[in-house]
Amino acid sequence: MTTVLAAKGLNKRFDDLVAVDGVSFEIAEGETFGLLGPNGAGKTTSISMVAGLLEPDSGTVHVGGTAIRTSSTDGRAEIGLVPQELAIYPDLTGAENLKFFGRLYDMAGDELERRVGEVLEVIGLSDRKDDLTREYSGGMQRRLNIGIGLLHRPRLLILDEPTVGVDPQSRNSILESVENLSGQGIAVLYTTHYMEEAERLCDRVAIIDEGVIQAEGTRRELVSLVGEKDRIRVTMTGDVEEVARIASELPNVHEASVSDSGVDVLAAEASTLLPELLSRVSAAGANVTGVAVFEPNLEAVFLHLTGKALRD
Amino acid sequence: MGAATRIAGKDLKLRLRDRSVFILGIITPLALAYIFHLVFGNAFSADSLELEVGLVDLDGSAVSQSLGEVLADLDADGILVLSEFDDPVAAEAAVEQGDIGALIELEPGLGDAVLMGQPFTIEVVGDVDSPTSTQVASSIASEFGSAVERAQLSVATAVELGQGPPPEDVAAWGQEAAQRPPAFTFTDVSADTRQLDANTFFAAGMAVFFLFFTVQFGVVGILEEKQGGTMARLLAAPISHASVVAGKAILSFVLGVISMAVLMVATHFLMGAQWGPPLGVALLVVTGVLAATAIMGVIAGAATTADGAGNLGAVIAVILGMLGGTFFPIGQGNELLARLSYLTPHAWFMRGLADISGGAEWTAALPAAGALLLFSVVFGAVAWALLRRKLGK
Ligand SMILES: Nc1ncnc2c1ncn2[C@@H]1O[C@H](COP(=O)(O)OP(=O)(O)OP(=O)(O)O)[C@@H](O)[C@H]1O
Ligand SMILES: [Mg+2]
Repeated sequence: MTTVLAAKGLNKRFDDLVAVDGVSFEIAEGETFGLLGPNGAGKTTSISMVAGLLEPDSGTVHVGGTAIRTSSTDGRAEIGLVPQELAIYPDLTGAENLKFFGRLYDMAGDELERRVGEVLEVIGLSDRKDDLTREYSGGMQRRLNIGIGLLHRPRLLILDEPTVGVDPQSRNSILESVENLSGQGIAVLYTTHYMEEAERLCDRVAIIDEGVIQAEGTRRELVSLVGEKDRIRVTMTGDVEEVARIASELPNVHEASVSDSGVDVLAAEASTLLPELLSRVSAAGANVTGVAVFEPNLEAVFLHLTGKALRD
Repeated sequence: MGAATRIAGKDLKLRLRDRSVFILGIITPLALAYIFHLVFGNAFSADSLELEVGLVDLDGSAVSQSLGEVLADLDADGILVLSEFDDPVAAEAAVEQGDIGALIELEPGLGDAVLMGQPFTIEVVGDVDSPTSTQVASSIASEFGSAVERAQLSVATAVELGQGPPPEDVAAWGQEAAQRPPAFTFTDVSADTRQLDANTFFAAGMAVFFLFFTVQFGVVGILEEKQGGTMARLLAAPISHASVVAGKAILSFVLGVISMAVLMVATHFLMGAQWGPPLGVALLVVTGVLAATAIMGVIAGAATTADGAGNLGAVIAVILGMLGGTFFPIGQGNELLARLSYLTPHAWFMRGLADISGGAEWTAALPAAGALLLFSVVFGAVAWALLRRKLGK
């Protein structure tokens, strides 16, 4: 897989405050990479350097092999930026906003018209395209904000907390559009402080706190890194003591114990264990009434790594 | 350049949608100029400059008569119209009825007071509707007064130094001093410095005064992009920082030129403003708009918010406009103010228009246009540096 973005050793101080300290990561074509961290972690500062808005004190950014600098326009056309703050003109219509930014990327004529139509379709605003965006709902404005970043077909799309302050429905449609992007081969850099979003969208996640990347990997890697286990709760009628004993002897099971109405099993990977576990339970003559799987989440990983909760 | 014009085009659309640029750039200056035209339209226009001054000489001494002679000379030169009255009551009634614009009254005993070295008064009665006549009469009276005082002083000095010349001689000297042509000259300013007629003056004054508000709609856009979050997108796009600043400057220039052109055409038809040779006018408008853009660019570069820039810009525009003599001809009679006014682009703009008025060649606009260009270059360089730095962080 081709590397689209390579950020190496990024550092940025604001006076006495070290906002970003030695941040490095790479994103490949079609990959969605999450930067997960609480307020003030340095997410926006990092991506500002990636997008060429902010000159790093040290470190380099390459997109498609081209160095990104604030003083040069090289490589910028490969990047689509969706800023954390809404970046749209309230007194232009949705279509006018898209066209204006498209022209800055040297799009014009029929090609621009066609692409604006496509993007409006993707963000579900075709029927509102001729309304001033000041009349849009918050969620619609957010969707347009994303659409502008996509318009010029960037190879790298950077989304900075795109779902903040959005209703659940709009949020879901935003997440769906982002999921679709990786299918189109776009490299996505996604910052968030919602671990559910990072888990759902991202192939790999970097956990960032106080300007430093604390850990990086797939969700599974991160979870195993801190020794967290999946928990399977099987509710049943029958001999729970016997089932717990059988379960604890299965390979990869860390621990099995009797709970109120069934058995709790701790294991490294619930999904591979589940079929075997259930057939053993049936074989033991117990009657399964329900199964629930609790996978340890990034919240727990974050807590483990930093000793604090992700959200304040 | 392509990106700059695209940004300017987008901003032009935004500004035209928001009506404030029409209100501030065209409606308000037009309305004010028109009101001035209705109220003072004939106050000091060159053609109908009627300085009607009355004189009542109740003293009848050699001293008082010498003032009468001065006024008669000015009458003969066509600078003012002198009416002499015997009866002070009739004279004051004439002022009240507007037959004369101002009245100079010389009380009985004036000549004696002058000769004895005592204080004296010359009274000027003015008609509120003829401020110019009143001003002229006052300055003639006060110039005359100081000439007489100088004569008194020389007499008094002679008395102290000289080992007591006979009092008859002193009286004779006094009379002689008073009869000498007064040590002041009333120059007809319109002869060497051209002046705009009243209507053109009001139209030009309001146009250039509000120009400084109009151009703000361009350069202040930089602060609005920052505050509105859209600056991040502009900076992320494959366009140079310079083209962002240039886009805003282009919009200022376009708005400035459009508003000036509309105002000049409208005031010509509405109130008969006369603008002179088109080439000269165009030169002054272009350099004037550039200077205004540059100064307002410095303000946008120094401010941190669009509102802050708007407020500071308004203060600066009013101060420069007042000092530059856009509301009333400043510094007529005050040398210092007259000099200071040339620190403003407004004064140069008005001066340039006056220079090309009354059938002069367009080249008469060159000195003023040169001064305006100098403002543009100096302030433009500072504005450019400040605004570019704003994008850097
Ligand atoms: N221009 C600036 N000047 C001074 N300090 C800054 C500046 N920009 C960011 N910081 C500081 O750098 C740190 C990181 O900020 P940053 O905006 O990158 O955090 P973030 O992870 O994006 O947070 P959030 O989730 O709240 O958006 C913060 O402490 C912030 O106060
Ligand atoms: Mg942020």
